[in-house]
Parts: sequence; structure tokens; C-alpha cells
Amino acid sequence: MSTSDLPAIAPARPDWLFRFGVAIVAVVTVLALIGPHIGPYSPTLTTPRVAVPPPGLTQIPGLLWGQITGTLPYPPHWFGTDVSGYDVFSRVIAAPRTDLVIALLANGLSLALGVLLGLLAGYFRNAGTELLMRVSDVMQSFPVFISAMVLVALAGRSTANIIIALAFVYTPIYIRLTRAEVMAQTARGFVEAARALGQPELQIALRHVLPNSLTPALIQSSVTIGFAILLTAGLSFVGAGVRPPTPEWGLMISTGANQIILGEWWPSVFPGIAISLTVFGFAVLGNALERRYAGG
Amino acid sequence: MQADSTLPFDTSGLGPDPGCLGKNDAPLLEVRDLRVTYPGAGGPVSPVNGLSLRISAREVVGLVGDAGSGKSTAALALLGLVRPPGRIAGGQVLLHGRDLLTLPDAELRAIRGRDIGIIVQNPRAALNPMLKIGRQIGTVWRAHNPGSRTEAAAKAVEMLRMVGINDPERRVAAFAHELSGGMAQRALIAMALSSKPRLLIADEPTSGLDVTIQAQFLDQMWQTVQDTGSAMLLVSQELGVIANYCDRVLVLHEGRIVEDAPVRQFFADPQHPYSRDVLRLYRERGAIWPAQVSGPAVIRAEGLTKKFPIRHSASVVHAVDAASLTIAKGEALGLVGESGSGKTTVGRCLVRLLEPTAGRVVFQGRDLTGIAKADLRAMRARVQIVFQDPFDSLNPRWTVQQLLDEPLKLHTALDAAARREKAAAALARVDLPADLLMRKPRGLGAGALQRINIARALICDPDFIVLDEPTSVLAPRARNGLIDLLARLRAELGISFLFISHDLTTVRYLCQRVAVMYLGQIVEEGTVEQVFTDPRHPYSRALLAAHLFPDPTRRRVDHPVPAPLQGEIPSPIDLPAGCYLASRCGHVTDACRVTPQVLTPLGGARAVRCARAVAGQI
Repeated sequence: MSTSDLPAIAPARPDWLFRFGVAIVAVVTVLALIGPHIGPYSPTLTTPRVAVPPPGLTQIPGLLWGQITGTLPYPPHWFGTDVSGYDVFSRVIAAPRTDLVIALLANGLSLALGVLLGLLAGYFRNAGTELLMRVSDVMQSFPVFISAMVLVALAGRSTANIIIALAFVYTPIYIRLTRAEVMAQTARGFVEAARALGQPELQIALRHVLPNSLTPALIQSSVTIGFAILLTAGLSFVGAGVRPPTPEWGLMISTGANQIILGEWWPSVFPGIAISLTVFGFAVLGNALERRYAGG
Repeated sequence: MQADSTLPFDTSGLGPDPGCLGKNDAPLLEVRDLRVTYPGAGGPVSPVNGLSLRISAREVVGLVGDAGSGKSTAALALLGLVRPPGRIAGGQVLLHGRDLLTLPDAELRAIRGRDIGIIVQNPRAALNPMLKIGRQIGTVWRAHNPGSRTEAAAKAVEMLRMVGINDPERRVAAFAHELSGGMAQRALIAMALSSKPRLLIADEPTSGLDVTIQAQFLDQMWQTVQDTGSAMLLVSQELGVIANYCDRVLVLHEGRIVEDAPVRQFFADPQHPYSRDVLRLYRERGAIWPAQVSGPAVIRAEGLTKKFPIRHSASVVHAVDAASLTIAKGEALGLVGESGSGKTTVGRCLVRLLEPTAGRVVFQGRDLTGIAKADLRAMRARVQIVFQDPFDSLNPRWTVQQLLDEPLKLHTALDAAARREKAAAALARVDLPADLLMRKPRGLGAGALQRINIARALICDPDFIVLDEPTSVLAPRARNGLIDLLARLRAELGISFLFISHDLTTVRYLCQRVAVMYLGQIVEEGTVEQVFTDPRHPYSRALLAAHLFPDPTRRRVDHPVPAPLQGEIPSPIDLPAGCYLASRCGHVTDACRVTPQVLTPLGGARAVRCARAVAGQI
């Protein structure tokens, strides 16, 4: 009785990290929807102005005024242009369509597959599911980046293959998370009660255990999406990702990297900031979700 | 006195506080209008709201109250402690006339442990897992007494011996996880008593302990209090504990004392509605069931055996050893025994949630052990089980409607409308309102949840139900309600029950026959009347002697009690060769140690597994 008569303790501190995470994720999502259409230039067409640096801070008010009054000869290159003449700003805001879509699809695929396999592995514990766990151990023992790179290299550089490769490397995480939760839930009384009522085992697994075991995997999703974006960019950077001129942050960093030594930092730094913020936003969101809902 | 208290190290060894000499009528502790408040969503709430009480020296006072009445909060507040974010909002706690709540922290800390000791509910959680027991006791002692580490270590051994721990020299070096629950509890009491406090506050000190250990432990605590001349405030929901050990009873309701009566008066003539409600069941005595039911057996177990293999080991746990029992139509059989005796395993084997290692379960003439899977599933409508923990046995994501729907969908061809009707009727049968159908289990009380479990088990009109400790997690009031309900359902429906419980009072109220289990064997069987009034097996005797019947006219502390069983229960992995009780029994002979005992019928539905009892030697 001692705990039941205590009032529940509400989380007192303002969850500003959670809000920050939500804000970043919201912006990236909106950009994935309309990003390619709102930039001043087409993200896939070059301009005649090559390697233009971004405007200095003192020039910005003038450029803004010029943009509003329509007195400029051409729209300003806010983030400069790269060595081929692409407008960096237009490409940075167009890239979420590539990056986020790849990350979302890869995460969705690995979530679905991992939860299903994790449910089987946690609920029906036999030689088959034991083998499954050992296989996923082996998969997890390789660094995700290397695994994904090899997979894309073997299957060929296409968006579909990148998605499949990412899904493949992230599935073991979901298997393991779900399996642990399934094992905990399977030991609970309502599972035995359902069995005593004559509910078939597969039905118990799907209707009683699964809904009660989803929370950890769903929380992990946010983190995984963030890291999938990073991995997508990484693959492009080493040349195993999407093909140019698709607007994609990793690819932009990669093409810009050659010019950094000449002092042209802007083609790489702006997409780099975008990746950092996005990964950070998703990770923070996942973290906050975990604190709020894990165990609830 | 004031000068003394600023130098707490000076007062030790001076014996009783001189300030209270010659003032024996003055209360040791007096609480006036104590209030504890917590911030809540709709303004502050006060679990303790205007509490006033007095405790004199050498008095054992029981504090009872329903779940949520503020008992634990009050017990802590007497030490000036509150769980955050609460605070003590007003009142006085006078110990020897000095208000503890106005003392500086350092002085209050000196008083805690030295003048007031506390024993909390969960002994394992209260011990530090990283420190050896002796070190922990020594630290508390040194906080209030001058002395070296060596002296403290010697003191720890002495304290452990005083609370009845065997081999204290070895046990001081044990960590908390190496002690059994009973021993951990005794280590805590040793810690609380190490500085001979004048007041001991024990908050549900025996919840979760087995009856035999509970009795030993409370006997010891009571004796220590008598020997040291201190007073005790015993917080408990168990009326058996209150009746057997307390001199006076305080009833706490909504944060204040609503009744204050000597223990006999409290049990004979309770005043407050809560007290009357709680005591009602114990005051209606006498068998309400026909003593014996002769009819066709509904379910029969023959030589039921269950062994659990231990992983990575060749040995097995012998959970159930050739148990045989028969339950007639409309009969209720009580299965009693301590934890680990195998009673739950028997229940699960009967409904085939566990596959017995050997033996048969015959239900209405059909052997369930060899039955095909599909037939077994169909049979589930006829044989049901209600589990111990109501919070765990209902899927938290389903509504009550869905929960009640599940068995109907599986076993009937009713359409949705008919199912809804049936679910509402099932709720009405267990005295729950139909508007609960849309609720989820979260937020419902244990009593309501257990009623839903019962409604669910009954919804397909089974012939046999296993009730596995259905009342053990309920507060007394909810428990009484549930027992009433079960008695009514028994009378109305004519279903056969196996009632598994360690609560003998409940078994006596609900069952006709009872079987006593020890280490997987049924050691005695008979009608409730036979076993309760004239137990034959030494183990049944010990179990009954340890049970605290809520009857203050036959207080355990006022009479010599039969010697308890010695030592600890043997491991079910490595069972004795002869009688399983031989190592603990007071009547043991050499023959007992080597001869396995058999359950021998004594005539008149009785059977006992003890050759000496059969021969009339004990």
C-alpha cells in the first residue's frame, strides 16, 4: 500500500529539448515535401556563375532589399555556388527529399521486419529463432557503414538498393530490442490468462504480446532515421550512394571537399551543418520520447 | 535535557532520560494535529490530515486503515520524514514532550535511530546491497554510540544473535542477497534495535513473509519490545497481526484517527464503519457449507508429478510429488501451504497450463494429459483459472469489453450484440457497473480488476475453476468483498473450486475440504473442520499454530505457543531420503529419516502422510 497512496510525480522541468527536436524534424519534413520547389534556382541545373562565395554579413541587408524591390539581375546565391555552378542553398533545401525519403523507407522496412522477427524470436524460442539471433549477431558485429557500403557495391548504386542496404543493417537492432521486450511481456500474467482461455499461440503473440512490445522499437525509430540520413550521406561521400546531380547532402560535401583546399569551404560546410542539425534533431526527439514513454 | 540534546554523545550510557523519570503516565510519544501535504493537480492533497495520537511506554499500538488511508506516510512523518515532493504542513510530534518537528536537522538525525527506530516494508530494498550486514548494523550503532569499529562489529554479532539468526558470526559477513526474506527482515530489526530505541515503528513488517516466518518474527519483535521496555507502533492491514500482538488499536481513515480502542473492544465492538466493514467477515463464523459433498468427481488428479529441469545442470526441481486429489461437483477444496510448497504448480497442472511430468488429470471422465490440442482448447471453456496478481493478468491495452469478449469469441458463436449483452451481465454478476466496459484496466483498483478476472473466468459457464491466491494482494476491505462474492457465486452456480491460498482464515470460510502441501507432497487432507480443529500431521500443526487468527481473546503472546519447526525448508532440488519434514520435526525418529512416508487414509475423508500420526504416537 505504501506506494499507492503517494501522488504520481509529474515531470516538472520544461522539456525544451523535446520541442527543439520536434521543430527540427518538422522543418526537415516540410523541406522533404516542398524543398525542391521553393529554392531560388533549380537544384539540378547549373548557373553560369561558378564558385561564387556566399555574401558577407554586411551585404545581406542590401541583397534582401534588392530581392524585395526586384532590382537584382539574378536571385542571390545565399550559400554561394559550387565548382560546377550549382546554387548550394537550393540544393541544401532540396536534399531532404532524397535523404529523408531514403531514411524513412529504410527505417520503415527494418522496423517492420525487425519487429516481426523479434516477436518470433522472443515468443517462440527454439533452434530456428536461436539461429536467427546468431545471424543477427554476426550482422551486428560488422560496422554498419562497411556493411552498407559492401551491400550497395554488390547490388549496384540505385536508390532502391541503398534503401534495402540500410534496412538490412538496421534490422538486427529492431530484432534485438523487440525480442527483449517480447520476452518480458510473455512472462506476464495476461499471456498465461489468454492461454488458459484457449487462445491459440500465434494469436496470443500477435494480439497480446505484440501491441505491448512496440514501444522500444518505435522510440528507436527516431534515432535510426537520424542515423540513416547520416549513413546515406556517408555512402554518397565515398561514392557508393546516389548518383550526381541528385541533390543530396553527402554528395554535396564530397564534391565540395576537393575545393576546400582552395579556400572554397561553402559547398561542403552548409550541407554538413544541415546533416548535423537533422541527426541531432532526430536523436534528441528519440531521447525525449524514450524518457516520456518507455516503460509506460 | 536541552543541554544533553545538543551533545548527543554525552547522553549515551546514562540510561533512561532523567527527564521522564517519575512521569510514567505521561505519554512517550504524543502527536498533535499532524498534517502532511503533497502538491496535486487540483490543489494540495493531505494524506495525513490532522493526525493525533498518544503512545505510552511498553505499549504495542496497532495502526490499521484501508489502502490509501495514509498509514505509511504517517509512520514516516513521525520521524519528521516525508517522501518528496510532500512536506509536513503543521502539527507537533512530541517525544518526551519535545517537539521533533522544530528541532534542527542534526538533532533530529540523532534522535532517529537512537530514540525512534523504524522497520520498513520491504526488507531487501531497505538493506544496502553493497555492504555486508554486520557493517550496516555497526554503522547505525556507531552513529549513536561512541565506539570503535571492532566494538561495532561485536555489537552487530550480538544484535543478530538477539533477533534469532543462527550462526551470527558467519552471517555478519553476508550481503543482503545472501539472506532469505525472513533473515533480511530480522537484520533490519537488529539494525533498528541496535541503539535500544524507546519507540519502534514497524510499517507492515511482515508483508510478503510466509506465515511460519511471520509468526516467529513478530514473536521475536514483541519479546524484544517487552525486554527492552520500549513501545511499538505496528502499522498493518492484517487483522491477525493486530489481534495477536497489539494492546490498543488506532484506525486511520482519510489521514486522521477515527477510532482508538483497546484491542479486545475493537474486535468485539468496532465503532467506525470501516472497522465494522473489515471485521464483519471475521465475526460471522461457522460453517456455511454442507460439511461434505458426495457426488461425481468433476476433476481428479492421480499421481500428479511435476519436475522442472534446471538449465545447464542435471538436477531437477521437484515441484510436485505424486499429488492426488478429487473435487466433487459443487465442492470447494482448499490447497494450503507455504510458498514453494507446489500448490500453484498443482493448480496450473490441473488446467494444463503446465504439462505434468507424470500422472493423470481426469476431467469429467476424460484424461486431459493425453488430449489433442484442439480438444484441449475447447475444454478451456469448461476449466478456468484466476491468477494471483490482478494488475498483471489483464492486457493493459484492452478495454474491459474486449477482455470479456475474448473468451466469448473463442468459445461461442454469439454475434457482437449478444456478446455485449453477455459482457454486461457478467460484470453485473460480479457487482461491477456496466459503464466499466469502455474502461481500460489502468486506473482500476485491485479489487475491481480481480472481479473482472473472475467475470472473465465465469463468462463461459465453466464446471471447474482454480483460484490461485485471488485475494492475496488485496487490502482487507476489498478482500472481504471478494470473498463474499466468491461465497455467493459458489452458492448460486454450483461450480467446483480449487482454492489455493496461504490464508487459512479465508480457506476456512470458503471451502469444505482442505489439503495441506509441504515440499510438493500433500501431507494431510480432510474436511476443514477436521484439519483446523485437530490437525494430525506435524507440519499442519505448525502451520496452524503459526497462523494468526484475528481473535484477541486467544492472543499468541498470552499463551505458550507450540515450538515452531526448526531450521529452514530443505531445497526442492536435493530432497531428504525419508520424511521431508524429518530435519525440522520435533517428533522425529530414526525411522522417519530413512523411510519415505505415504499418504494413509484414516477414514472419514481424512488422510495423513506420517506413520507416527497414523499409529497414534503423536
